[in-house]
Amino acid sequence: MALVGPSGAGKSTLLGLVNGSVLPTAGSVQVLGEEVAALRGRAQQQLRARVGTVHQHLELVGQLRVVHNVNAGRLSSWPAWRAAWSLVRPQGLPEVLAALDRVGLADRVFERTERLSGGQRQRVALARLLVQQPELVLADEPASALDPVLAERALGLLAGLATERGGALIASLHDPALALRHCTRVVGLVEGRVVLDAPAAALTVGDLADFYGAPR
Amino acid sequence: MTAVQDRPRVAPRLHRARTRWAWGLGALAVVAWSLAGAGAFAGDVVNPAGTGQFGRFAAAALSPALDGPFLRVLADSVLVTVAYAALGAALAVLLGAVGAVAVARTTWGRRRLGWTLSRGALAVPRGLHEAVWGLLLVNLLGLDPWVGVLAIGVPYGAVTAKVFADLLDEVPRSGYSALLAAGAGRTTAALYGLLPPASGGLLSYSFYRLECAVRSAVVLGLIGAGGLGYQLLLSFSSLRWEQVWSCVYALALLCLLADVGGRAVRRRVAAPRSSGDRLRRDPALSAAVLGTLAGVVWSWWYLAISPATLVSDRTGEQLRYVLAAAWPPDVDRPLLSAVASAAVDTVQMSVIAIAVATVGAVLLAGVAARPARASAGRRLAGSVVRLALLLLRAVPPPVWALVLLFVLLPGILPGALALGVYTLGVLGRLAAEATEELDPRPRAALTALGAGPVGGWLYGVLPAATGPLLAFALYRWEVAIRDTVLVGLLGAGGLGALLASRVAAFDWGAVTTVLVALVLLTAAVDLVSARARSALRS
Repeated sequence: MALVGPSGAGKSTLLGLVNGSVLPTAGSVQVLGEEVAALRGRAQQQLRARVGTVHQHLELVGQLRVVHNVNAGRLSSWPAWRAAWSLVRPQGLPEVLAALDRVGLADRVFERTERLSGGQRQRVALARLLVQQPELVLADEPASALDPVLAERALGLLAGLATERGGALIASLHDPALALRHCTRVVGLVEGRVVLDAPAAALTVGDLADFYGAPR
Repeated sequence: MTAVQDRPRVAPRLHRARTRWAWGLGALAVVAWSLAGAGAFAGDVVNPAGTGQFGRFAAAALSPALDGPFLRVLADSVLVTVAYAALGAALAVLLGAVGAVAVARTTWGRRRLGWTLSRGALAVPRGLHEAVWGLLLVNLLGLDPWVGVLAIGVPYGAVTAKVFADLLDEVPRSGYSALLAAGAGRTTAALYGLLPPASGGLLSYSFYRLECAVRSAVVLGLIGAGGLGYQLLLSFSSLRWEQVWSCVYALALLCLLADVGGRAVRRRVAAPRSSGDRLRRDPALSAAVLGTLAGVVWSWWYLAISPATLVSDRTGEQLRYVLAAAWPPDVDRPLLSAVASAAVDTVQMSVIAIAVATVGAVLLAGVAARPARASAGRRLAGSVVRLALLLLRAVPPPVWALVLLFVLLPGILPGALALGVYTLGVLGRLAAEATEELDPRPRAALTALGAGPVGGWLYGVLPAATGPLLAFALYRWEVAIRDTVLVGLLGAGGLGALLASRVAAFDWGAVTTVLVALVLLTAAVDLVSARARSALRS
């Protein structure tokens, strides 16, 4: 599903509501059959582990090596001692290498993340998702920092990841063509309200371009 | 991305950052060695007999002496301290301005040898603590107000010269080069092309020096130069705890005012200006500059300073006598071994101080930080901790040492802990500010994917905060090794104590030896700290 709308329309807020980083002031949010705001402690952690989010590679810690940033996707299932020990001796290396291999970065596994380029960091963020294995994938403008070829690949991988687990992908996108190519449903937001909800097949690139050009 | 899947998967080897591991393990070993040397593992560090006295001292905190005559004495001492600070800082800025020209890269151009030598010459006055200067000057000038002024002005002048020169050298060269190309002389070109862009930084740093001078003036009082510190010591040695507390409150307030005032001025200077002459139009800033200048003039009058002392026959005679007696330095074996063991004590004290302060700062950083979206309770807790940290750094280390000597047996541990407590006040604030400035998004992302609080802290906060905090700690170690000497002068051991005893015995040859050892030791610590910090950055 693609989420489109002008800046400030509420796309990031909507994604935040779904992954629980933003609390609703009124009403309720149901994700994967659970009430997000009602959960606490372990149950909340377990639900969060089933929802994976990528931002514009801003969630990575630059000072850590790539392997730790990827392993961070498993922090929900690791006890604290294992998380701490992994910083000394990286744990679960085969899975990390497999995930990095799928994004073409296996040879940089022990590099410090801040030494990678923007596009490479984006792919590290994807590898973290691959290790996390979420059922629902949220992507906040996953293509904005990438050139067209990389953007295409990134979205392909995200969509593949979501369908692989039988789940869904919700991506906020600025590029109408990308939205139509990779998503089956398009939802448009303006000032926090849904003003468009249609199957991608019924829309053209022109329709969406108009949508960005004319904030109502 | 499917293409890369065919490639045989060879995992690259994990190369640990060997230099960093070596530095880390080395640092742990040095801390353990220092603690062992201070007798922390040997038992018998606490003095049970002193707890009663400490109780009486602590109880007096709530009833400071507030009677009329003592308050008048106190006010007088505060004024003396302020006057020393103002004159000392003024002298430092004057010396710094002249010295900056002598050590700036701009002056020397491509003549690297001259530049290196002039920089090296600054290291000597800089390597000696104000209190050491005070001790030496008392023996030259007797009990004269010049002692306090010069003891602050000379070492501060050397630091100021270095900083001013760096500020001038960092100004973009294009304006200056254009003026030179247009045929202006080097002096005029510097006046029009270098000075205006650097003026904000120069002014800001001058006020920072004034702020530090207040703290130094208090400390100089402790070694007998008069003022608040001297009054504190008098009250302490006559066991008048109520008066001691009045002095402590007064000096904490004074340091606090200097801290707040200096920071306010510096913030105004640093605020973005639309044009170069905005500086002159800021009324608060003009008032601060004019007020300070008036304060300097008043200080001159209040301390009744006369230049005649500096050029009198007696001073010249004394100087000639001391210089003749001080050269050649004393190099007999017993003295050298005493210097070596005192140097070891000094290093151990500074290491314990920094270790205590760093551990404390890490533990407190989370509480002391007040992030923008914190709850009211958390903000309150943060403010309380911040206030406590402020008190820790407002009271100079020697006073902490005196307090700790109630409950600890004499030795290097009380001195080390006193420095540690003071440094915690400084490092704690820096750590809290560093935590507040961290990008919150990595940690938020970890929480969103289900990480627990410990995991989120380990992966989202710790890696990003470690670097800056360790760099601060290493920098403070350079400061601490200088302050160790100060605590030592008042009897806590190490090179400071050795120096004080040699000066008291008028053994000038030995004094020279100790001073050389001091300068070498501080230079060595600076070097190690700089190396460690660059290993941290790589």
